[in-house]
Formats: sequence, C-alpha cells, structure tokens
Amino acid sequence: MTAAVVAEELVETRIGKIEVRRGGSGKPIVYLHSAAGEGAGLAFLDELASTRELFAPMFPGFGLSEGIEQIDDMEDAVFHLLDLFDRLGLRAPDVMGLSLGGWLAAELATRYPDRLSKLILANPAGLYIEGAPIKDIFGRSPKEMAQDLFADMSHPAAQMMLRINDEMSNVAALGQAIPFELLKPQLQSMAATARVGWNPYLHNPKLRKRLARITAPTLVIRGEKDTLIPAPHCETYAREIPGAKLVEMSGVAHMVSMEQPKELAALVNEFLGS
Amino acid sequence: MRFFSFHLMPYPKLPADYDGPAWVTCPNEFFDPKVGHEVYNRYLDELVYADELGFDGVCVNEHHQNAYGIMPSPNLMASILARQTKNVKIAVVGNALPLYDPPTRVAEEFAMIDNISGGRLIAGFVVGGGPEYYSFSINPAHARERFQEAHDIIIKAWTEPGPQEYIGKHYKLRFLNTWPKPMQKPHPEVWIPGVGSLETMEFVAKHHYAYMGIPYFHIDVFDRSFRLFREACEREGYTYEPKQAGWLAPIYVAETDEQARAEYEEHFWYFVKRLLPGINIQPPGYTSLRSMENIMKGAGTFAIGLNTWDQVEEGVYAVVGSPETVYKKLEENLRRLGTGNLLGLFQLGTLPADLTKRNLELFAREVMPRLRERFPEGKAMLEAKEAVA
Repeated sequence: MTAAVVAEELVETRIGKIEVRRGGSGKPIVYLHSAAGEGAGLAFLDELASTRELFAPMFPGFGLSEGIEQIDDMEDAVFHLLDLFDRLGLRAPDVMGLSLGGWLAAELATRYPDRLSKLILANPAGLYIEGAPIKDIFGRSPKEMAQDLFADMSHPAAQMMLRINDEMSNVAALGQAIPFELLKPQLQSMAATARVGWNPYLHNPKLRKRLARITAPTLVIRGEKDTLIPAPHCETYAREIPGAKLVEMSGVAHMVSMEQPKELAALVNEFLGS
Repeated sequence: MRFFSFHLMPYPKLPADYDGPAWVTCPNEFFDPKVGHEVYNRYLDELVYADELGFDGVCVNEHHQNAYGIMPSPNLMASILARQTKNVKIAVVGNALPLYDPPTRVAEEFAMIDNISGGRLIAGFVVGGGPEYYSFSINPAHARERFQEAHDIIIKAWTEPGPQEYIGKHYKLRFLNTWPKPMQKPHPEVWIPGVGSLETMEFVAKHHYAYMGIPYFHIDVFDRSFRLFREACEREGYTYEPKQAGWLAPIYVAETDEQARAEYEEHFWYFVKRLLPGINIQPPGYTSLRSMENIMKGAGTFAIGLNTWDQVEEGVYAVVGSPETVYKKLEENLRRLGTGNLLGLFQLGTLPADLTKRNLELFAREVMPRLRERFPEGKAMLEAKEAVA
C-alpha cells in the first residue's frame, strides 16, 4: 500500500470557490465533514485515499469555501452538492458523512438516490426523536462540548477545546489572550452550521418519512460513547433505511473519524468492498 | 443636550444562592408575581416622575426571558406612559425587529403610541440581543437581513401610501396598508442602539438616524464607537450632529461622594454580578466577522469582569458622587464623546425606590440645569480638531 497524497484545491461552483481535498485512486468516495469542519491534517482522509479516490469538500462557510450566504437550508445544500459532484465528474460516488455531513448525505440520498452508490452515515444529525434530543452545540462551553465529542480527553483536539475554554472564561483577558485568528475558523463554521441547523435544530422534520426512498446500500456507524447525538438517532436511521446495517464502534464518542481513523477506515473498507 | 431617564426594569429578587446566568435559561420559577406587581408599578412611577422633574424623555427597551429587564413588551409600558406623562419624549429603544413576524406589528403599535401621546414617540429599532435568538429560536444568521427588511417595511408603511406590496426574502406582504399612521411626519425620530457592530453604525449613518452606545464597557470603548460612527457619517458625506448620538450610563447622585458610593455600590454589584451574566452570549452568525473582531477589541473591558470600585470609577462604568462630582464627570465625558443625548440609568439592580427618587431629584435640580447651559442644544460639542476624527 502506497502512501496517498491528499492535496487541497479550490473548485469553482455556482456559489463560489469550494475547498476540496483530493487524493488516491480507485472507486470514488466523498467524505462530508461534521460541524467541527475536520479535514486539514485528518489522518482518516489518508486512510480512505490509500484504497480509493477521495474527495473531501468543505461545506460553504468552512475553511476557504465560499457561498454560505446563498445557503439557507438543507435543500440549498443538496443542490450545491449536486453542482459540486457535476464539476468533479462524480456521477454516483460512495458517500460518507459524519454528523452534519451525515445529515447532508441522507438528504442527498432521499432526494436523488441515483447520485450515489453506497452510503455511510456516522453519528448522523438530521432527525428529531422525542425524548432523545441532540445536545446543544450553539450555546455551550467548549469544555462541555469536548466531553460529548471525545471519549479520550487527551486527544489533541479535545485539549485545544479545553484550552480555549480556560481562556474564554477569563473575561478580563478576552480579546487579548486568544488571537482573533484562532477563533475565526470556529466562529465561521458555527455560523455556517446555524444557517442550516438553528431552527429546526439540526434536523429536517420531513427527512424521517423520506428515508424509505434511499436505495443505496447503507451502513450506519454509531460511536458507543457519543453523548451529543443519542443512540436512538442511529437506530432510527438504520431501521427506516431499507436494508441498512448498524454497527457500533467501542471506545469512541462523536468524532469517530478523529479518534479512531484506522478502525473506522477498516469498517468502511469492509462495507464498501474493493 | 437632551436628558433621558432610562429604565431597564430589573428583577430585584434573584435567590441569593443562584449563581447562574440571568438570561435564556434562568429558571422562571424564580419569578414571583407579587414582586412583579410591585416593581412594574413602582418603575412606571419612576418614569412618570422624570416627566414631572423636567427630563426631556424617558426610555424603555425590550428583552425576553431574563431577570435583567422584565420588559418583553416595552410598547405596553410606552402606551401607559403615553397617558400618564405630559411632556416627555417616550423613547422605545427599541423593538427587536427580527422577532416580529410580520413586522407590521411594530409599525402599528408605534403609530398607536405616537397618536396617543400626541407625537412624543421616539422609535427605536434593534437587532435584538444575542440571548433573544436563543429565547425565540430565530436564526441569528438571518438577524441582519430580517432587521433590514423589517425596517424597510415599517418606513414604507409610515411614509408611502398604501395599500402596497412588499416581497422580500423573509417577509412577504401582499397588502401593506398600516392603520394608524404616526402623528409625526414624515415619521418619528429613529434611534438605533449598538454595541460596536460596524454594520449597525453604517446603517444609522446612512439613514441619518441616531446611534445609542450601549453601556457596560470601558469609556474608551464608547469613545472608539462614537469615533467610528462619526467616520461612518463622514463617509456618507456629512458631519454628524450631536443629537445623532447618545451615551447610556448608570448615574447616581447623593449629597456627598462618600454617601453616594456607600448607598449605591451593593446595588451596582447586584446588577453587574447577578443580572449581566448571560447577556454577552453570542449566537453564531449574529455578527459579521469584521464586526466581531471590532467587538472583541472591547470585550476584555466588559463589566462582568469588574472586581473593584476603582475599576468602576476609572472606566466610568457608572457616574456616582455628589452633584458637583457627577457634573464634572459627565461634562468631561460628554465633551469627549460628543453625544447630544444623555441616557441615564437612575435605577439599577436592587436600588430601592427612596434612593432612586432622591437620585432623580438631585440630578434634575443640581446637575441637569448646569449641563443644559454647558451644552446648548444644536451646538457642536467636540473641539474643532476632534469634530472630524
């Protein structure tokens, strides 16, 4: 197995330039990131690119991707994704999404089932389930968030969130302790997420009844320790998508692609085949 | 100089052992209607008293689901004041436009108040505080767009003959034909409060409205904000007038400096430490990045971080002292800020009725007349070299 080079490029779309990470060769797979905007330096992308051709676009408003002002809801986001697929020459790639990205993937798969081959939803958002709400991501402290996102708090990304938490709680030092440049990506990606997920909160009330329309073979992956999106969400997806399989990864929380890149890639490869 | 008495109508009885935010999630089991009955009536009396004492105006504002200010509908208060006061301007600062759907409601209610009061309304429009976007589940990413559209609808309703049509992105009105229309022509004076958002300043400058600086930051932050506002006016091709700017500050006057501080301090700290926490929550996408960067420059001086009275004095977070001291501090800072409206918070936190009353009286009799003389209405306030920043 040769080390795949994942490089980023800017792709022109109808709503502006979109940052896309590409690498590897083989059957194409699209990875749609979560509201955390993971991508740069994500080892999981290298894992995927070692066996297939990888495309990992940044959602408008994340990273260098433009055009968020033209996205008001998931319908806009799906049309943007179709446009991007066309420009990348992707007819029906395998599509994998984590959390927010999982929701987007499910919206695509319900509306345009012929534009993807296989579907992988990891800790997907997108549904409202009574009695099992998705925890708040827009108003809680980085510390509270980190505890839902990571099973292992020594993960560098969890540590970074704790550091920001400490510095933000010192009001007198605000605006000095944390350089604005450090906060900027976080502010941008949360603002972009709010555009599609503020209200209804991280779900589309119409999505659930549409899941039966998905024709792609589907794998739903749940991080055992994910406390952000409770288990019934993955279970509902797996139950309502015809023929879908549900697997649980142990010792990992919400950010499965950050915490267990190798294990996750093995699961994905096993499901997709060669 | 015009003088306004601004009331936040705070809830003064949060349990002593509660140390959570006063906003959004502050449990409403803490609200006691007996206290509500007492303070609503008392606070209205305090505003009516300002009319009797010769203030130019009174101010009320809108906040939801919080203990900081229990005035979700300032228009209800303003309509009472329209009947119970005789001379003062009634400034509603303001209605949070994106929370009204359709915003014709604001055009209607403001017009009613203007009619009832005989043309004494000042119409304040606000984007709404960060917490309101949580409390109303309105998408903060649409805050500015909705504000802009709602504003256009209200001004059209007031100034253009109806029925007309308004089709925007957020509001679609096939029959815009507001009854009643305001008494003041072309429409009441418009005030817009802000905390340093550049978009807000540019909007105010463009429409020749008035910009009200929101308190609880170091005086240097105000200075910077009003400088930026004056620059925005210059970019629109005119020099701002003092009446287009207002400084909102807690004010407390007693016989001596020592007495003033001794009587006032605990009530000020209740406000800062109990009622402010939570006001500063910033929902995502509510502010543009460039404005966020500007706001962050002042964020470290936000009053929640205050710990000593010296800091309060140094940053002019409140103007407290004898009549002479309060005059001097106000004179110095008004000259520096160039604001032709002074909006005083004469009741703050748990400040009781008797002290609030005496505060208003001492201010009206011993401070206000001197400041009126010092800053005649319609005259430039800044030194010539400062007038254009």
